[in-house]
Amino acid sequence: MVEKNELSELKAELKSINLEAAKIRELPVEERADFGKKINARRQDILSKIAEAEKALLDVEVEALDVTAWSGVNESLPEFYPAELGSKHPLMTELDRVIEIYELMGFDVVESRQLDDEFHMFDSLNFPKEHPARDGYDTFRTEEGLIPPAHTSTMQHRVLKQFKKNLDNGQAIAVVVPGRVFRNEDVDATHEHTFYQCEGVYVSEDCNMGQMLGILREFFEKYYEQKLNIRTQPGYFPFTEPSLEFMIEKPKSLGGKKGDYLEMLGCGMIHPNVLKMAGIDPSKYHGFAWGGGIDRLVMLRYGLNDVRHFESGNLNFLREF
Amino acid sequence: MKISLNWLKKYVNVPVSDSELIRLIGARLVEVEGVIDETHKYDNIYIVKVESCKKIPETHLSLCKINIGRDDLVQVVCGAPNVREGMLAVWTKPGAIVPASVHEDAPFVIGKRKMRGYESNGMLAGADELDFGDDHSGIVEIDPSMAKPGDLLADVFELNDLVLEIENKSLTHRPDTFGIIGFAREVAGILGYQFEYNSSSAGLVTSDFPISIADPNICKRYSVVVLERHGELKKKYLTWQDTILAKSGMRPIEPIVDATNYLMLLTGQPLHAFDYDKFVKVGGTGEAIINIRLAKKGEKLTLIDDKEVVLNENDIVICSNNNPVALAGAMGGKETEITDQTRKIILESATFSLYNLRKTQMAHGIFSEAITRFTKGQPAYQTLVVAESCAELLADGFKIVSVGDEYPNPEKENVVKITTEEINGLLGTNYSKELIIKTLEHVGFKIDKDGELLAISAPAWRTDIHIKEDIIEEVGRLLGYDNIEPTLPLHKTATKNEMFELKRNIRESMSKYGANEVLTYSFVSENLLQKVGQDVKNSYKIVNSISPELQYIRQSIVPNLLEKAYLNEKLPVEKFAIYEMNKVYRKDLENNEEGVPNEKMSFGFVVAERKNNETAFYKAKKYAEQLFKEFNISVDFVPIKRETPESKPFEPKRTAEILVDGKYVGVVGEFKNSVRNSFKLAPYLAGFEIDLDLVLKKKGKKSGINFGKRTFEDYTLTTTRNYDEALKEVKEKYPNAVKISPLSIYQPAGSEAKNISFHIELML
Repeated sequence: MVEKNELSELKAELKSINLEAAKIRELPVEERADFGKKINARRQDILSKIAEAEKALLDVEVEALDVTAWSGVNESLPEFYPAELGSKHPLMTELDRVIEIYELMGFDVVESRQLDDEFHMFDSLNFPKEHPARDGYDTFRTEEGLIPPAHTSTMQHRVLKQFKKNLDNGQAIAVVVPGRVFRNEDVDATHEHTFYQCEGVYVSEDCNMGQMLGILREFFEKYYEQKLNIRTQPGYFPFTEPSLEFMIEKPKSLGGKKGDYLEMLGCGMIHPNVLKMAGIDPSKYHGFAWGGGIDRLVMLRYGLNDVRHFESGNLNFLREF
Repeated sequence: MKISLNWLKKYVNVPVSDSELIRLIGARLVEVEGVIDETHKYDNIYIVKVESCKKIPETHLSLCKINIGRDDLVQVVCGAPNVREGMLAVWTKPGAIVPASVHEDAPFVIGKRKMRGYESNGMLAGADELDFGDDHSGIVEIDPSMAKPGDLLADVFELNDLVLEIENKSLTHRPDTFGIIGFAREVAGILGYQFEYNSSSAGLVTSDFPISIADPNICKRYSVVVLERHGELKKKYLTWQDTILAKSGMRPIEPIVDATNYLMLLTGQPLHAFDYDKFVKVGGTGEAIINIRLAKKGEKLTLIDDKEVVLNENDIVICSNNNPVALAGAMGGKETEITDQTRKIILESATFSLYNLRKTQMAHGIFSEAITRFTKGQPAYQTLVVAESCAELLADGFKIVSVGDEYPNPEKENVVKITTEEINGLLGTNYSKELIIKTLEHVGFKIDKDGELLAISAPAWRTDIHIKEDIIEEVGRLLGYDNIEPTLPLHKTATKNEMFELKRNIRESMSKYGANEVLTYSFVSENLLQKVGQDVKNSYKIVNSISPELQYIRQSIVPNLLEKAYLNEKLPVEKFAIYEMNKVYRKDLENNEEGVPNEKMSFGFVVAERKNNETAFYKAKKYAEQLFKEFNISVDFVPIKRETPESKPFEPKRTAEILVDGKYVGVVGEFKNSVRNSFKLAPYLAGFEIDLDLVLKKKGKKSGINFGKRTFEDYTLTTTRNYDEALKEVKEKYPNAVKISPLSIYQPAGSEAKNISFHIELML
């Protein structure tokens, strides 16, 4: 514990160092540099001790509170702020809506991890070791080799294992995995290193690509509350085969014109190796999976043009929602 | 990768419009990122004949009369050293835009102007101005057998073109499409045609060229053709090949390099040329012996770009005898570089392990067109044929003297057995067996029918075909995924995710009480951790962080909120309560049974006002109490007795720990003055951090709602004890109270005791 007199002792010492320092002029020129260096080091040391002591003193002179009470003595009762000041984060509001739609469509919900390992991020998803496809994800890594996941697919292997029992009961595995993901990217109006995705996983004995397209179209029609035209294009992901990019025609309500297609997510039939690794027999069961960004969905819905607002914490922006 | 549609159409008949073709390529082959419209790039640019050419005295200029295909001649002043009477040149007419400047903000328009007193109508153009390369040494000359004066340059070289910009990532598994032939094959398949392409290979006979591959896993096949000079390779005229290189984003440089680049664009197979004599010299044995091996750690090699690289054990090197002369797949070495003096060349055509090349690419930062193709895993079947084609392109100047081909384990044919039911089953389609067979045959698959079972052999260039799903993908893709009818499977009822439900409820109630939800980064700086007194070593550290600001994974939410509180007080926002619910990770939480770190869902909250003299603690506590009330959890606030990572910024004398059934679930309090000062925040400041996983476990239901009539009473007691004890006393006095709420705490000046008042609701 720091005492006040300790601080005054330190200050006195500083004063004497300063006096000593003034003697530099009396020294021969060749000795000055060395002397200056030494005295400066001492001064820095004392200054940082003073800063420490002052900081500690700040915390010493604090009065204790009755933490069991409801207000300070002779103070008014605390009140909540008025409802009109309150707001929910638009990303979270929309994520809740996304989840609600999928729940109504029969999907269980599991939140994605925010720190995971190489096995779940890549190995379990049929990325061969050292494969160039791993580079496309611009992953961060910790000293331990852990990965803040670059996609919610990092949860695929887990949900397949967790819900495998559905198959034994004659039911499909139907799960969505929303969560926060990370990519080592420079931030600008359309890129964030931190963003949200939602993964979908569906496995049954007789599922097919037509059902995948049906479910995705159904979701987007519910989300944008209107009929939509959809389109696909071939893509490549090691964990799906075939792999597709899924697009919707930009909804009219959002100012879309005919032929104006937006890429919404990547999807495909789950690669048999991914099923096999989770202990599901790929000769008996098939599955499909998809994953797409939430941020862009929300920007589109609210007509926002800068993704950086989301993590800004700026209340002039957030109180609009 | 760039694909010229005019070039593409040389190999496949396209009966549909360009826009439909681009749509089909997008829908059935690869993402088209953009289309460069070059249909007007060469407007007003003509091929002309220089009829007369006279030096203008005391200048480097020549006064030329040119034939532009009309009766009268046009006068142009030209400064190029190679302009001469009788040649065919390229004339940019006054009003034409210089093609190299078409995509610039202010394109350069050619005019009519006077030079040294002589009128010059337009300009005779060099290769650089026409955007065919960097050559500025003279004007472009046109082969008289190709054109006549007055022809549009664009017509002769088919320059009115659309160039597709292809997203390479979506072809990661399709090395065969990184050449125009492979790309055209797919387009034929998509359009429903049989693809035909006959390379003019005569089939080379290999001689005893000494090649040794240390490990077939690093180099599947290594072929060479040795060429000897017998004449001059004259680069006199602009060629079709030059225009293709330019359109594909490469530049014509020098005839041998150009030939190798052109063949790479055509076939996807990269080639490299060594100077034979230099190669032999490096080897030191007096003959050419090629060894392909992994580099030894610390070995050095100077590359063609004059940079010396220190090699890693993952790099594959081409050696002359045992001395490295090239970084395989990436770049050739300086010592064996070809020049215009080169007498003999070794033309290399090989495939290398994409895994090793990927590491080479990353370690040495080499991102060439060649290595881009190699890292997709080029198939081995065509190495020798492509080298032969290259030799043909160079036949004017060079003849083949020997051929080597080392291919220790030839690729086996991949055969996949599948039924049409399986194909239709996974796609959700109803394609006939005949349609499926034809579709696959169009792009080179061979099919043996055995009843319902199709035995499908993949062509040599499709090394990516191994399993049924690969065949299903081909069928679905070539026939168009968009032709699949979307359907909905019957669905089960989902079980609600309770944590999402909990967070949704908190969000509702918090916004009702005027609080604002924020999201902040999971990554924080060392400085932030130190400011709030958290142990930096307890945070997971990112080794490749974007900046020092984002180097550690946060241990709790409140520190981020303090940063955002500062931002908002500065805006200024007078008063606010901000919160975030998100995952946190700390090393002391250890790993779970999966071997990955345990995680916590944490709820952080900070209330701040720029001007308020009262005690912020009680406001934060009120919000915290409301949270537990919302979930029917009874909770105790007691003076904090412990220190946890999340409690670090809080001032122990003004902080309560929150207990549910005696179990710690979080803290609420004001912050240490030192912490508050370091964030430069106003005095009215408090917050809490609560573990939502524990809240979820304790969540209860409402019980015993009493609808009866009530009576009210206020009661004040004067005491020196704390509030909790006062409350106990009131509860004893009113055992039947339905609800006891606080009214005020008043301490008259000079008195030791406080007057604590309650409002009591009683059943009638």
